[in-house]
Amino acid sequence: MSEVAVSVENVGKKFRLYHERNQSLKAAIMRRRVSVHEDFWALNDVSFAVPAGTTFGLIGSNGSGKSTLLKCLSKIYYPDRGTITHNGRLAGLLEVGSGFHPELSGRENIFLNGSILGMAKKEVAAKFDEIVEFSGVGQFIDQPVKNYSSGMYVRLGFSIAINVNPDILVVDEVLAVGDTDFQEKCRQKFIDLKTAGKTVILVSHSMGQVREMCDQVAWLNNGDLVAIGDSGPTIDKYLRSLDGVSE
Amino acid sequence: MSILKEILSSRELLLNLTLREIKGQYKRTVFGQLWSLVNPLASMLVYTIVFAFIIRVQPDPGKPSGLNIFVLWLLCALLPWTFFATVLNKGMASLVTNAGLVQKVYFSRITLPLSTVGSVGFNWLFEMAVLLIVLMLCGAFVLPWIPLLIVQMILLAAFATGLALLLSIANVHFRDTQYFVTILLQIWMYLTPIIYPINLVEAQSGSTGGLLGTNITVLDIYNLNPMVPFVNVFRQLLYDNRWPNPADFLLCVVWSIAALVVGLWVFRRSEKKLAELL
Repeated sequence: MSEVAVSVENVGKKFRLYHERNQSLKAAIMRRRVSVHEDFWALNDVSFAVPAGTTFGLIGSNGSGKSTLLKCLSKIYYPDRGTITHNGRLAGLLEVGSGFHPELSGRENIFLNGSILGMAKKEVAAKFDEIVEFSGVGQFIDQPVKNYSSGMYVRLGFSIAINVNPDILVVDEVLAVGDTDFQEKCRQKFIDLKTAGKTVILVSHSMGQVREMCDQVAWLNNGDLVAIGDSGPTIDKYLRSLDGVSE
Repeated sequence: MSILKEILSSRELLLNLTLREIKGQYKRTVFGQLWSLVNPLASMLVYTIVFAFIIRVQPDPGKPSGLNIFVLWLLCALLPWTFFATVLNKGMASLVTNAGLVQKVYFSRITLPLSTVGSVGFNWLFEMAVLLIVLMLCGAFVLPWIPLLIVQMILLAAFATGLALLLSIANVHFRDTQYFVTILLQIWMYLTPIIYPINLVEAQSGSTGGLLGTNITVLDIYNLNPMVPFVNVFRQLLYDNRWPNPADFLLCVVWSIAALVVGLWVFRRSEKKLAELL
């Protein structure tokens, strides 16, 4: 299992901090510039490799660059420096239910959302029952999703995303959806994914969850990679650093 | 070329997004798809009252079809124009309205503006089919011209797509674009021979002569408007039932290819930055 699923090499991502941003044409012309900005590196020279078949966690305080890194991994952002390569199909699960059309039924939305996530119609059709079953939406599947309870809405979104069946799944804090029952189902699903040899990269603030699920973690702070290693010791180090600050 | 491959590989998504627009559009309305006919009918009514009864604009009868019905003459140009204007408006807004999706999921971005072309085009097909039936009932012999009409519709769709791609990116950078385009489209419509025949412009231009001592006439400048040849060809096919003027047709081809190439190029250049810019 030494094969690498995702390799991140010297990745840097720059954002512009705008002191003045002229998003209207008048302002741009009057001030004779579109913006005044300074560069802010949300990620700085981050490198690591995720072995195939493992679960990998990203930890760090708010604003440490975890989500930016996830967005780079799922091709929503493009890194300004460095490269990210992956072997196998990668799916991002950053938000559930985005792209649902409220007036369309759950059934129609499954096909729509599936294709946004990159599934072919046949694949969705083959997995349809499984998706409905997992979501627990049941008889409401032919109702417009605007009538769904917020729980049903996210559960359906999550079920579609989890059934995309990627080789690599990138997850951002979405494990906290649904009720206890559903969370238990999700946990089981992640265990299944792992036994099936899939790679999972996740961001979470719940250290208990990370400790339980992840083989390895990377600790980010202000865009820099502080430490990387087996989950137990690295999480301890991270928690100790937090205590150090608060004391 | 890579962009064509990308579009081809995400054709299923494109279809689904288009269907989402079409299905979502008239949900919870009693008349459903019929609503798409109401808009052109309403503007038709207004323009006919003002221009045919009050101002008494009289277009030449169709040659050789012999049609002499203002309403039909108007619709042959008005329907393509409405399609064009709607694609520009909706395509331009497509990226901004779907910002949430663009920032959370990776998928081929170009499917968003393209799917609006698809859904607006679907309505247009419906309208054109109704127009064709009415034309035939009124004695126009349009059947043999349908293949060429389809080519011309594709050309206009390509022209509109190119501009919509360009505008969608411009709108991400400057939200002024949407307000500007609304005004521009209004002016543009009156600069195109849709509600009045082009020979009124020719007559005016002839009496004014060369501008500022040059050989350039008002008509020359007027003809720079790319929608003029498009509208001309639509009328020649639908209302006159004859071969389109080769110069007009060639201009349509050139304009649509140019718009599409520039639009795709600009979109390609900016699409990677979209999630940050929105």
